[in-house]
Amino acid sequence: MNLIIKMAWRNLWRNRRRSLITMSSVLFAVLLAIFFYSMEKGSYERMIDNMVRYSTGYIQIQDVLFEDEPSMDHSMLVDEHINGILEELDDRIDFSVPRINHFVLVASDRITRSAMLMGIDSAAEARLNDVSDRITAGSFIEDNDKDIVVAQGLAEVLKVVTGDTLVLISQGYQGVSAAGLYRIKGIVDLHIPEMNNSTIYMALPEAQWFYNAQDRLTSLVIMPENPQHTRQLAGDISERIDTEWYRILTYEEMLEDLLALMQFDIAGTMVLLAILYIVIAFGLFGTMLTMLLERKKEFAMLMALGMKRAQLAIICFIEAIIISLTGAFAGILVAIPFVVYFYHHPVQLSGDFADAMTGYGFEPILPLSPDPVVFVSQAMVVLIISIIIGMYPVYSVFRLDMVKARQK
Amino acid sequence: MKTVIKTNGLSKTYTNTAVPVHALKNVTLEFKEGEFTAIVGPSGSGKTTFLNVIGGLDKPTEGHVVIDNVDIATMKESQLFDFRLRHIGFVFQAYNLIPVLTAMENVSFIMLLQKQSKREMEKRAKEMLEQVGLSDKLDIRPSQLSGGQQQRVAVARALASKPNFVLADEPTANLDTESAFNLLDIMARLNREENITLIFSTHDQRVIDRARRVITLVDGAVDKDEHFERN
Repeated sequence: MNLIIKMAWRNLWRNRRRSLITMSSVLFAVLLAIFFYSMEKGSYERMIDNMVRYSTGYIQIQDVLFEDEPSMDHSMLVDEHINGILEELDDRIDFSVPRINHFVLVASDRITRSAMLMGIDSAAEARLNDVSDRITAGSFIEDNDKDIVVAQGLAEVLKVVTGDTLVLISQGYQGVSAAGLYRIKGIVDLHIPEMNNSTIYMALPEAQWFYNAQDRLTSLVIMPENPQHTRQLAGDISERIDTEWYRILTYEEMLEDLLALMQFDIAGTMVLLAILYIVIAFGLFGTMLTMLLERKKEFAMLMALGMKRAQLAIICFIEAIIISLTGAFAGILVAIPFVVYFYHHPVQLSGDFADAMTGYGFEPILPLSPDPVVFVSQAMVVLIISIIIGMYPVYSVFRLDMVKARQK
Repeated sequence: MKTVIKTNGLSKTYTNTAVPVHALKNVTLEFKEGEFTAIVGPSGSGKTTFLNVIGGLDKPTEGHVVIDNVDIATMKESQLFDFRLRHIGFVFQAYNLIPVLTAMENVSFIMLLQKQSKREMEKRAKEMLEQVGLSDKLDIRPSQLSGGQQQRVAVARALASKPNFVLADEPTANLDTESAFNLLDIMARLNREENITLIFSTHDQRVIDRARRVITLVDGAVDKDEHFERN
């Protein structure tokens, strides 16, 4: 085996320039692929993280009908039954956040829009996200506040500033009309454009009063100790809860459309990466083909001397694997510092591109994901390509006619 | 003397050409241990085909090649690989050495495939390189050796594993006179000292003049089989 590895290794450096060019092509392909994939994964991870932290949480307990018919009549009471389950699973639950969320019609003196009113427990919400730190004007609401905080995008649409008053109109619990005048205490800049254009925060007791839904919630957000165990925890809550009255939703179910869009987008990127890799595969194949043509006589000589076809095939295969994996690992090594840097310092987009991103509901930044899956997946792709291409010389060696090859 | 190779009614016809080519026609020959034989004849007379067939590189269309009481014409390819490795040494006209291995590694190559012990292998390889006058070139790669030196390394490699016989396909064709004579001296000496059977295909008069047996092939058939008394 030593002889085979030695010969494969030295063969690679017989035509140093060609080997280096081939390795470089693999390097750049892997670098580009990692960059694209990491950027896409990073954007989506950030979007999911933002949605989870600012909107859905990892798990929600809701009234069984609320998801399909979101009205105050489908709000719920957090009774002893739910509290008992939360206590039982206390070691796996980090904390819970009570919310009352419902659509409202919001009007300034001249403009009317629909918005999402979020009645929140500011202390619990602070454990979930940094919304109170993202105030751009005024200050954030406290639990006994009667005022509201408006997201910046919505404030701009309504052309309002702190101190202005907004009219809120909605439908309360059991058909009661919910209406009120609320002073804007602060303006908050949210990460998610969609939320930034439609969210109003109100203290939970005030929101319950507004909707005439005392002690009621539309959802109880559950944050697991370990987010990776979300599905398992949701399952365990489901097993214990009275499913005739309550429903357990994970963030994957609540963000189903977003995740489907992500999968679709990722599939598009995969097509792009596949094209990139096909180009590289042809380059690699060309190198293998040239190498085979150049060395047919040599192969025939080696076989005449007694080297078995299988041994020769292994040499060729090792050469293909070394050349592509060296390129792939070099690509990964070069990519790591880039990815880590842009993970900590995401590119902030500006101008039309930023507007376009915002228009699609994306935050106008390009964060990169340092997830090891990004690197390992590219190494695996290159490995698979090189195995497939490495099979060609193996096939050729097994078909080589010794006599004809020596005559050429 | 012991018979090393025996061919009986050996024929080879190539049918993958526009007109079938009869490269060998009913060749029946015997080669004894220690013989120094030149197979001569014009281009296309079947010299290389004959060496290919008795070397197990090509299969005869008809006839038998018996080596060590075994008919190699009936062997499977995998058996032939092993047979060649254990019994036959080859010296080719060109593309003779493995370019990525040093002279020492090239000479050890067959012994390495035979899985001989490292110590034994190195000792024998050094001894053979010394015999061909290249003991100072152990770690040199083929590209840094002259054509004559490369052929000497090839001869050392062919003989190092102590095969039953060595087949050399026009080994002097690419060499200048001095290198050719030098190579032939070495081969003749090793033939005597190691008692190894050497069979050359050649149309180089320098080789023919050294051979103790000269077989002339014409149109794939044996035209003459002459023996000479030479040192």
